[in-house]
Formats: sequence, C-alpha cells, structure tokens
Amino acid sequence: MAQSNNSIKKILTVAFALSLVCAVIVSTAAVALRSKQQFNQELDRKTNILEVAQLYEPGMDVNETFASTITPRVVNLETGEYSEQHDPSTYEGFQARRDPASSRTLSGEKDPAGLTRVETYSTVYLVGDPDDPEQIILPIRGQGLWGLMRGFLSVEGDGNTIVGITYYEHSETPGLGGEVNNPRWQAQWEGKEIFDEQGELAPAIRLVKGGAEEKTEVDALSGATLTSRGVTNMLQFWLSPEGFGDYLARFREGTSQDDAQAADVELESEGA
Amino acid sequence: MSAASPKSVLTTPIFKNNPIALQILGICSALAVTTSMSVSLVMTLAVIFVTAFSNLFVSLIRHHIPSAIRIIVQMTIIASLVIVVDQILKAYAYEMSKQLSVFVGLIITNCIVMGRAEGFAMTNTPGLSFLDGIGNGIGYGFILMTVGFFRELFGSGSVFGFTVLQPVQDGGWYVPNGLLLLPPSAFFIIGLIIWVLRSVNPEQVEENEFKMKENTQPKEAV
Amino acid sequence: MGIRQTLDNLEPHFHKGGKYEKFYPLFEAVDTIFYAPPDVAKTTAHVRDGIDLKRIMITVWLCTFPAMLFGMWNAGWLANAAIADGFTSMDGWREAILMTLAGGHDPGSLWANLVLGATYFLPIYLVTFVVGGFWEVLFAIKRGHEVNEGFFVTSILYALILPATIPLWQVALGITFGVVIGKEIFGGTGKNFLNPALTGRAFLYFAYPAQISGDSVWVAADGFTGATALSIAFQDGMSALSSQFSWWDAFIGFIPGSLGEVSTLAILIGAAVLLWTKIASWRIMLGVFLGMVATSALFNLVGSDSNPMFAMPWYWHLVVGGFAFGMVFMATDPVSASMTNPGRLIFGALIGVMTVLIRVVNPAFPEGIMLAILFANLFAPLIDHFFVQANIKRRLRRTGVPAEETA
Repeated sequence: MAQSNNSIKKILTVAFALSLVCAVIVSTAAVALRSKQQFNQELDRKTNILEVAQLYEPGMDVNETFASTITPRVVNLETGEYSEQHDPSTYEGFQARRDPASSRTLSGEKDPAGLTRVETYSTVYLVGDPDDPEQIILPIRGQGLWGLMRGFLSVEGDGNTIVGITYYEHSETPGLGGEVNNPRWQAQWEGKEIFDEQGELAPAIRLVKGGAEEKTEVDALSGATLTSRGVTNMLQFWLSPEGFGDYLARFREGTSQDDAQAADVELESEGA
Repeated sequence: MSAASPKSVLTTPIFKNNPIALQILGICSALAVTTSMSVSLVMTLAVIFVTAFSNLFVSLIRHHIPSAIRIIVQMTIIASLVIVVDQILKAYAYEMSKQLSVFVGLIITNCIVMGRAEGFAMTNTPGLSFLDGIGNGIGYGFILMTVGFFRELFGSGSVFGFTVLQPVQDGGWYVPNGLLLLPPSAFFIIGLIIWVLRSVNPEQVEENEFKMKENTQPKEAV
Repeated sequence: MGIRQTLDNLEPHFHKGGKYEKFYPLFEAVDTIFYAPPDVAKTTAHVRDGIDLKRIMITVWLCTFPAMLFGMWNAGWLANAAIADGFTSMDGWREAILMTLAGGHDPGSLWANLVLGATYFLPIYLVTFVVGGFWEVLFAIKRGHEVNEGFFVTSILYALILPATIPLWQVALGITFGVVIGKEIFGGTGKNFLNPALTGRAFLYFAYPAQISGDSVWVAADGFTGATALSIAFQDGMSALSSQFSWWDAFIGFIPGSLGEVSTLAILIGAAVLLWTKIASWRIMLGVFLGMVATSALFNLVGSDSNPMFAMPWYWHLVVGGFAFGMVFMATDPVSASMTNPGRLIFGALIGVMTVLIRVVNPAFPEGIMLAILFANLFAPLIDHFFVQANIKRRLRRTGVPAEETA
C-alpha cells in the first residue's frame, strides 16, 4: 500500500486531483460570494460617511439614505476643481497615491502629516444638493503615533464650520490615542471652525491641551500628545492648499459674497 | 489513540489535553483576537470548522495520501478550507471579518489544525477524526473565550459588547485596564489559566529540566 | 530577655504538629527581626561575615531614606506652590491632616511641605506594604518557606517610583502583579528574573497610563499640569527645558516627577553608602553610567532636526526622569542582575544604552530606564552564561582537565 502510494504516478495523481478539487471549491466560493462582499465593503464605507455627516442611525437603510442624500465627486487637489476623468463611485484616491502618474511626492515642510505621497485626485462626498451642499465630507489621513490613521471630516456648506470627524482605521494606544473614536471627544468638534479671521489659506484648526477656548481649538486627547499632534498635522495638511484648501476656498468665497447662486454657476461651469 | 472512544476524543482536548494550555499550540491567534468576546467567538467557530473538516477530509483520503507529499496535501486541504471560511465571513459577517483581519487567513498557520491532521486524522477513521477536530476546536475556543472574557470585561468593561462596568470615559466609575487591550496581556492570562489547570490536574506539570542541589531546596517548615 | 522568652514559649505551636504549624513562616519572620536566625549554613564553603541578607536589605532600605524624605518634601512643595498660585487643593482627609499639623499651604514652610508630601507618600507605602506583604506571606505559608526580607526593599522601591497622585487601588494592583507575576510564580526571592518593583510599575504603566504618565499626575493640585523635565525636553526641546529648570534644579530635585526619583543628589547620597558598604555592585552602576554617556554622546553627534531629544547631553540625562534612581537602586538588584563581574559591566552598559535609546528614539514613552532595566534583566542569565563558559574554557586550557563542579 505504502509502496504504491509513493509511486511517482500515484503522487502526481493525488496531487493533481487534490489541487483540482480544492481549486474548484475555492474559486466557487470566491466567485459566488464576490458580489456580496463588495456590497459589504460599499456598505461599510457608506456607513462611515453617513456617521461623520451625523445622518446615521442604527437600523436604517444605509444604501437608500446614501443614494438619496449623498453625491460623490472627484476633486483635483491641485486646482480645487471637480474632475470628470474619474468615476466618483469607483475611484479610490487611497489606491491612486502609489501611482506616479496620478500622485506627487511630499517632503519636509509640505508634509506635516507624514504621508510621503499624495494623490492628485480625491473623492469628496456632498450632502444634499451637490451644487449647494449642506455638508462636504472629506477623506483625511495621516500618521498618528503608531501608524496611519484614516478618517473623514465633515464640513458645512460654508467650507468652514465642522460638523464632525471620524476615524475608521487607526492603531493608536487603546485608552489614550485610541480615544479618537470616543463619541464624547468627537462630539466637541461640532461647530468648530477651520479658518480664523486673519488666515485666508492656512487652516487654524488645531488641538490644544487643557481647555479649548477659540472657535478653532479642540481639546487634545488627554495623555496622547503625539496622537493629538498627528490629528492636528493631518488637518493642517488636508485643509491647506496642498490638500482641499483650494476646493474649500470656493465655498467660502461663495458665502462671503453671500451669493450662493454665483458660486453655483461658477462651480458648474468648472465642473463641465 | 486507536482505542479512543468518540466521547473521550471529543472531551479530553477541553481540559485534560488542551491544545493551548498543555501543548502550547495556537498561541499567536489567541493573543491577537481576544480583545473582545464576540470576535473570539467567531474565531473559535472558524477554527472548529476548519479543524473538524480538515480532519475529516484528511482522514477520508488518508489511505491514498503518498507519505512523501502528505504535509503538502494537508496544507492544501486546510488552506482551501480557510479561504472558504474567510470568504464566507467577508460576505456574511463583514464587521467581524474586519476585526479579525488577517487572523482568519492565519488559521492556516495555526499549529493545532496541522497538528491534529498529521497526528490524529492520518491514523483514524473519518468519524473519530471529525469529532477530534471539533474537540480540539472547542478546547482552543475554551481558552480563547476565557481570555476574551477577562480582556473584554476588565479592558473595556463589557461582555459581548454589553457594558457591564461603566468606564470613566463614558461617565461611569470603572477605570479600564489598558494593558488588557494590548496583546501581551493574553500571555499573562493564558499563563494564569495554565497555572489553574495544572493545580487541578497535577499530572500535567512537566518535570524539572534540572535538579537543584539538595541544600538549595527551599527548607521545609520544621 | 522578655522578647526571647515570649518567642521561645510560642515556638512549639508553630512547629510540625503544633496549633499554628501553617504559620511558621510568619513566626520565623518576626523572630529573625529581633534575633539571628537559628539555622546557619551547613554545607559547602561559606564566607563568614557579619552581614547577612537581612542586614543587606535593611541597609538598602535605609539608603533610600534621603531620596524618600526629599521626595516627600518635593511632592508637598510642588502642591503647595501650585495651590498658592490659585489652583484648588485636592480636598479630603489629606487636607484635614495638613490643616491640623501645619495650618496652611505655605510653599515656603519646610514642615507644611513635608506633611503634605507625607500624606501622599505614606498611604502609598502602607498600601504597598500591606498588600505586597499579604501575597508574600500567603506564598510563604503555601510553599512552606520563610518570608523573605527582599520584600522590604521591593516595597520601598516600588512606592518611590510612583507619582504622588496615583490612586491607592492602583498601587495595590501594581504591587500584586509585581510580587505574584514578577516573583512568586517563578519561585520567590532568588528565582525571580525580573525586578518585582519595576514589574509592578510596568504593569501600571501599560494598564493605567493616564494615572502614571503624562503631565498632570505629578503635582497634587487640581487641574495643575506640571510636565516632568523629561517630557518638556521630549515635546519642546532642550531650550524649553533649560529655560524652565536649571541643571542644578534638576540635580537637587526641584522638578516634578515620581516621589523618589526627583533628587539626583539624595539618590547619590544613598549610592555612596551602598558602594561604601559594597552592597551594590559598582560595576553595574559604572556600566549603566558609561552606557548612557556613550549613547547620548552618539546621539548628540548625529543630531536631528525633528527630534529634540537627540540634543540632550549626558549630564541632563543623568538628572532627569528616573535615571539616577534606576541606576542606583533598580539595576543593582542582586537577584535580577548579572552575577559575574565582567557580566555586570555588560549588563549595566546594556541598561544605559537602552535607556537613552528608548528616551530618544521611541515616540511614545518619554521614560526609558524602567523598560531598559526589565529588558536587561531578561538578558542577565545569558550574559552570565557566556562569561561562565569562557571561564570554564580558560581553566580547561590552563589545567587540561575539565572541572568537576562548574559555575
């Protein structure tokens, strides 16, 4: 028995048969379940976005709500204009950051968030009327203490007032930096402002220790100096002209002139 | 081994011959996934599924496996099962699979699965092997759930996600123990479980690797 | 001779078959506090000396007193100064004791500072002693060996490396972990490869970081944030540090920090006694010191734009954080350190190097000495192994016959 089992012919037969069977099983599972998995991934992303927009309620129909309230758009970070080159529903800025054709390197002063590379186009999510949005949801990321933190920041239609912030991926110390996910900490972001009166382009929003007083200050995470610094740096980058600064400026101009109509027309013409 | 009864095959791995506590196998995933009980439970179920079925399939074809490639054959079977489990979790329990991340995939490297396939299923009937797989999976899961219970209860103040001890961050009184949220804490808890198990079953205690000199033994109370 | 008689009368009850047989270790502990132990070494060569384990431990204990007293004063002084500046005091029984004994928060009064500091330190020490002692006795009874004097030292060292404001239940948990996991599990004093006091602190450090690290735990005044010298340098750089504290401030101990760690001067007084009585190994201390100097010099040389800790010179490393305390009291723990003489130098150097490495390069922990010592503890047996093997080889070359008894 053992003899014949170890013959070359038998070995090849068993190896081939086993590989065949296993390959069929694995690929069947993968193919049959793919649509379901993609649906889940989508759902997860949409849930995160709805959460930061403070529209999420447990048990709601996420897809339904997302489709009816939120419009994704791809923005060119260099010009701040909408881009029609990419399909907003499938484009992933995070993946594009490695592609030299659609990204650029950052270094030194220009890279406070420790990103090294940043994509040229990024997806934003607009709540309400895409031409005069109630909220603009921006993807943000940057180095925390232990690794990359990824999240969303939601800004009101004036391009200045913050609605909320969430992190869906981070590896900060539980209980200290990990408190970025604490709803109590996140709650104090509502109503904060990104820019102060003087600074036109440089974002003023930052985390401060021991009692935030200004509109542009948020309480730092207690005991987590470096995570707090990471959050500040990340916002400083993504809200500066290097990030979404130029894009947000359009909304701020729109409101400062108190002429939303004009801004809409301007945006539309650029979008087209 | 060959004279094992179905019942003993199913139950001995839980306390008497626990894969984690006695054989010290499968520690890696026990460290990584035990911060919460629900994740531990899903991991347990996945491992039970993989060990049981890999044992079953290996045992079914055990007379046809050439000994020269038997490890590869076992690996292929285990790997296929793990991928299937991973795909199913991603499709039907996405939240869980996100938290388990790579650790479902790493069941492939869980020594318990390989160990049972090679050590038991290769020489036993499919029925017994299947039960053995379930038993070892439960033994693994027992440790996982215990560790998960302590880590979640004292690390986050909850059990299966339900808050039991209201943590101070949310306005309660309980100060969560941050160490228990870090992977090394599972080492301490597994160590303490082993201590308890071996106090109950002294036959599990290993022999000293060396003998101490007579006069350096701790003195007996006279 | 009343005590001797009382003890002798009681003794039969604790012997085998007596009423309190199980509690013999307790009896033995009390007995040997007053008198020399009845048993003396019977086998193998022993050097006869007037100093035994108990006296060694008591000497170490006494050597911590300068640091302890200064630490109490410092804790009281910082709190009183903050309160005088308008911060609210932590009310409660501490306040009541202070008011009764000293009459007010006067940072200029030595007495008021000392009393307030004592209301923080003494409860910590008491809890350490009672809880740690409980475990020690429990294991001694269960295992049938004597209560070991080493615990005296462990408890005082542990209490001295905690911040003043630490909650007492955490003190209890920490010492429990230190004694049980750090020592008793491995067979008690003499078989522990980790320093139990540091093991306890490390537990608290990872379990409850908010109460043992950061900027607000060092000064016992409500809402007052006083960063340690180390974390000022870590966050804002050397110039910020030297503008806030002078080197002499840090050397004498006018800085916030753990109770016993603040005054390098007071620690060095203890160190002098330890070295003079030859209780602590000068090789370990020298090794730690040289390792620290070499590594910090290296970092000074390399330099860094983004990390201000690269620029910290060695004489600052010596006086900030727990470096001096760790070097003098923790690294020299005879059980968990290396046992061979050249090994001690290497062991010490490893601690010195790792301390600076952790302080400078690690992004998360401003303090490095605790982890460095625990790390080196793990390597101590390995270091010894190489020197013992080298010794055996050397002897073999010299005599041509393998030694019968090695090591």
